[in-house]
Amino acid sequence: MRTFEYLKPASVNKALALLDLYGDQAKLIAGGTDVMVQWKKRIISPQVLISLRNLAELSFIKFGGGLEIGAGTTHRALELSPEIREHFPVIHDAVSNLGSVQVRNSGTIGGNICNAAPSADTAPPLLVLDTNVRIASTKGERTVAIRDFFRGPSRTVLQTGELVTLFSIPAPLPRTGMAYSKHTRRKAMDLPIVGVAVLLSFEEDLKTCRKAAIALGVAAPTPMRAANAEAFLAGKPVDKTTLLEAGKIASEEASPRTTIRGSAWYRKEIIRVLVRRTGLICMERAKGAARS
Amino acid sequence: MKNKDKPPELQPFFDKNIAGDVVPSIGISMPRIDAYAKVTGRERYAADYYGFDMIWAGVKRAGIPHARLKSVNTQAAENLPGVIAVLTHKNISGSNRQGVIRKDQPVLVDDKVRHCGDAVALVLAEDKETLAKAIKLTSADFEPLPGVFTTETALEENAPLVHEDHPGGNVLLKASLEIGSVQSAKEHCDVLVEACFETPLVEHAYLETEAGWAQLKEDGKLEIVASTQTPFRDRMEVADALGLEPERIRMIAPYAGGAFGGKDGVTVQSLLGLAALHANGRPVKMWWSREESFIAGTKRHAARMYYRLGAKADGSLHSLDTRLYFDTGPYDHLGGVVITLALEHSGGPYRIPNVSFKGWAVYTNNPIGGAFRGFGVAQVTAAMEQMMDMLAEKLAMDPLKLRLKNAVRKGDKNCVGVTLTHSTGLVECLEAVARHPLWTERAAWKSKAGPFKRRGAGIVALMHASGYGPVVPDVANAKVELTAEGKIKVYCGVVDMGQGNAATNLQIAGSILCQNVDRIELILPDTDRTLPSGSASASRCTYTFGNALIGACETLKLRILQRAADLLMVDDCDETALIPGAVRHLPTGREIPLHRLATFMNESERTATQRFRAPTAKEIPPVGNEIRLHGFPHTLFSYGAHLVRVEVNELTGVVDVKRYLSVSDCGKIINPHVYEQQIQGAIAQGIGYALSEEVQVNEGKVLTADLATFIIPAASDVPEIESQPVEIYEPSGPYGLKGVGEIATNGPLPAIANAVADACGVRIFRSPLTPSRVLRALRERLSEGGVH
Ligand SMILES: Cc1cc2nc3c(=O)[nH]c(=O)nc-3n(C[C@H](O)[C@H](O)[C@H](O)COP(=O)(O)OP(=O)(O)OC[C@H]3O[C@@H](n4cnc5c(N)ncnc54)[C@H](O)[C@@H]3O)c2cc1C
Repeated sequence: MRTFEYLKPASVNKALALLDLYGDQAKLIAGGTDVMVQWKKRIISPQVLISLRNLAELSFIKFGGGLEIGAGTTHRALELSPEIREHFPVIHDAVSNLGSVQVRNSGTIGGNICNAAPSADTAPPLLVLDTNVRIASTKGERTVAIRDFFRGPSRTVLQTGELVTLFSIPAPLPRTGMAYSKHTRRKAMDLPIVGVAVLLSFEEDLKTCRKAAIALGVAAPTPMRAANAEAFLAGKPVDKTTLLEAGKIASEEASPRTTIRGSAWYRKEIIRVLVRRTGLICMERAKGAARS
Repeated sequence: MKNKDKPPELQPFFDKNIAGDVVPSIGISMPRIDAYAKVTGRERYAADYYGFDMIWAGVKRAGIPHARLKSVNTQAAENLPGVIAVLTHKNISGSNRQGVIRKDQPVLVDDKVRHCGDAVALVLAEDKETLAKAIKLTSADFEPLPGVFTTETALEENAPLVHEDHPGGNVLLKASLEIGSVQSAKEHCDVLVEACFETPLVEHAYLETEAGWAQLKEDGKLEIVASTQTPFRDRMEVADALGLEPERIRMIAPYAGGAFGGKDGVTVQSLLGLAALHANGRPVKMWWSREESFIAGTKRHAARMYYRLGAKADGSLHSLDTRLYFDTGPYDHLGGVVITLALEHSGGPYRIPNVSFKGWAVYTNNPIGGAFRGFGVAQVTAAMEQMMDMLAEKLAMDPLKLRLKNAVRKGDKNCVGVTLTHSTGLVECLEAVARHPLWTERAAWKSKAGPFKRRGAGIVALMHASGYGPVVPDVANAKVELTAEGKIKVYCGVVDMGQGNAATNLQIAGSILCQNVDRIELILPDTDRTLPSGSASASRCTYTFGNALIGACETLKLRILQRAADLLMVDDCDETALIPGAVRHLPTGREIPLHRLATFMNESERTATQRFRAPTAKEIPPVGNEIRLHGFPHTLFSYGAHLVRVEVNELTGVVDVKRYLSVSDCGKIINPHVYEQQIQGAIAQGIGYALSEEVQVNEGKVLTADLATFIIPAASDVPEIESQPVEIYEPSGPYGLKGVGEIATNGPLPAIANAVADACGVRIFRSPLTPSRVLRALRERLSEGGVH
């Protein structure tokens, strides 16, 4: 039989000790919605699975202006959090149409990020939020900015013996709108052809862009920030025209591939459309936030 | 004619006991008898078997599209602990050939591999893991051959041959029909429209992939339980392929977890039979993985169709010529029958005096083309119904009026020369659409499209034949029994693959014999217990079997009443009536319970059977015998008209299906609930065909072998569907019914394509209409400076 040992440590520290013990023979498993698929397809064959499931230490949403999310928090918990819905709607957008309810009940944000698929739905939101990733090992902790976290498809900066404990998100500037749009081939249960997160912070006039962050999924080997498009918007009045231009620039920065799911030219088209569309939602949301 | 404004209300049903008290009636929505067990997970499908001492069997697939097989290396696998046997063609003593018409498909490859999914070796192991390892360890030496991967290249002069022994070369079957003269008719046409349409290879994607189990019994009998639409035909195929007497084989067909044509013929059966012969009497199970199902299972034929349609200025159709190329993959399966049915339907439900139809089912090294709900009609309807809209545009005529003008009516000859002697309700369907607000108020709705959105409405007219055609007898044999315990057993000869015909059988028997649901037991198809009744296919199940069942139930009823009259010592059985569990003498109120009555009857008296053969067309249109053998022509058709409203996003090319209306003439309805499920399911499936489903193949290799890349619609992709029956009584049908299983699946692709054309003036000749195809077409139109 093709088997693995399934270990269920009672704390993060015990999990880290086990990681040290088994090294490369071990694989962390949280919700298992990526791990078990890869195991079945024989992409991975670890001898030991170290489970992070139901570790209270890893499952939390702490809101206090900024936000801390435990790596083991499920998409469903994020989806149902009123704070996230109200103050970090870009995350709500992403997790509420990720897979199905069953997948969201199991799958975690940590798993989504650490799996490092170019299509990971939570990556663009965390990117525009300038998230810091807290990494732990038996040797201690370190923090990596999310934009430095991804190294390639299925590759991250994580070393053997390390795991992600939490995502730390700074409080957004006042008058900020943020949104995520996902283009799919059917309305549910589909990975994005392209995913776009936009965050816009405005000056007091609610028009001039004080800060723009644009992140793209499935646009490059890793989820990426569209720095040129961001620079273009900064300091400019945001409207349909400037957003259209920003979309064009973002589309030029992207280097998507042609795959069975979609062709490169089409992905580029959709990036243009989604940057503009998502930017408009940000404007609405920023205005709404300013009113309330 | 009775039109219902609203679709029938579907009652939620949770408690089995509530339904148990019901005495079924014809025409009411009854909860399906199979529903409760299925939704609670209690139903046991073929795939659900996990017996004591069970062995797993699995297949080594070729993985190469065309090659000569030199040898199979089984040693390494055989040496693996836990492996019971590794079998090759050498272990087969029969013909090693399967197929419904042309037997050209090996159980295990002997001479040549003809597609990637071909079975090279059969492995038996103690458990699934060992099986997977052993399959990996089994290898084969091939001499690769150049392959043919399109119908064009397959038909070239010096194309590599898929079957060297086939007299037609790579043409499995060519079907043609000429009536009148298109050549001279063309000169008399005021307008001509021409186009070529391409439709994709499509997977059925049933929940239950191909599965079954088999056991060699102590008495030497080979028992095979399989997810199949065709147990009786399977038995003959397995017997022939494995060299066994058919009587030695017992095929059992539980409820199938979906089939849609993909189990119309042998999938796991022969392999399982062979495995069981080498399993020392232990039960053997086989269950294809999703990927295997994609690679080795049959598919809807990809098609390329050339159309030229001519009409008079007033819109009357005058001539049509078509050339249809269907990629049947490496084996006949049912490819010849599919192209023949396609040919018969290629001119749609219209009167056209001059036609020239030609169709080729072409062998290639792609996956196997076979039966799929719609059966060739889905493809040609996609072409013809778009032609009608293109013609309407050229004539500046309302597309609905154009259809009404040419629609067949009872007594007409259809365009393949068959006089329509049965109920023909197309005009009623089209008129219902014409009256509907979704049609009459479309202009206002279209004008309200938001920014970057375009709205459009599309309609289609449909027809779909039922039954096998003139030669192969479309026969069912029903059997009902009053058991010694006083209950009723209905022996269902036709498989229920999910469409609900078993529940309908119960409804028919319960209604005639006045027994409540709890007193009736269904015996599902089993070659040892039920009588041969043909395949669950061709929109024939309830039409053919239902007619037989009514006869059997009426016979049994009369026998019960006469026996009761004798026992009650009354002269006339007219005075007695069946009531749940008993017979009552009406004038006196005296009753005899059925279980007592049964003790006075011997077994043969308690059992009634009835045969029914479906009517056939009596005309002999000008086609060869070969084409008649493949099922041409039919006499009985269902009809329909569909309307769809779509919204196209000009920036992304996404087509959003907003509303759907289906009006159907499938005769009278026995169970509105089941009828509705057939229409809704078929339309959902058709929407997938229209917008997203496409098995992508490169050099014979399937690139989309899972449900993450082969995109079937999710619930949220299916709009509100309104379904209206025009209930025209069909005198030859059971309670006036005609087939409803397939017709609705033919509508969505052309309806949506017409709606997209209506919305934004572009027609996409290659389906599915994926966002990138739509967007590209929109861009091309813009760059051509076309109209807005
Ligand atoms: C049917 C289906 C639909 C899906 N749809 C979507 C979709 O729409 N969008 C989308 O983005 N994804 C989708 N996914 C993928 C998957 O559900 C998500 O990526 C999910 O977030 C993975 O989380 P998990 O907890 O299940 O991860 P796991 O499978 O447990 O782990 C994934 C990876 O992360 C590692 N890992 C997990 N936790 C940690 C940690 N704390 N520290 C370090 N490494 C860790 C694991 O070792 C593994 O490499 C789908 C999956 C399925 C099966």
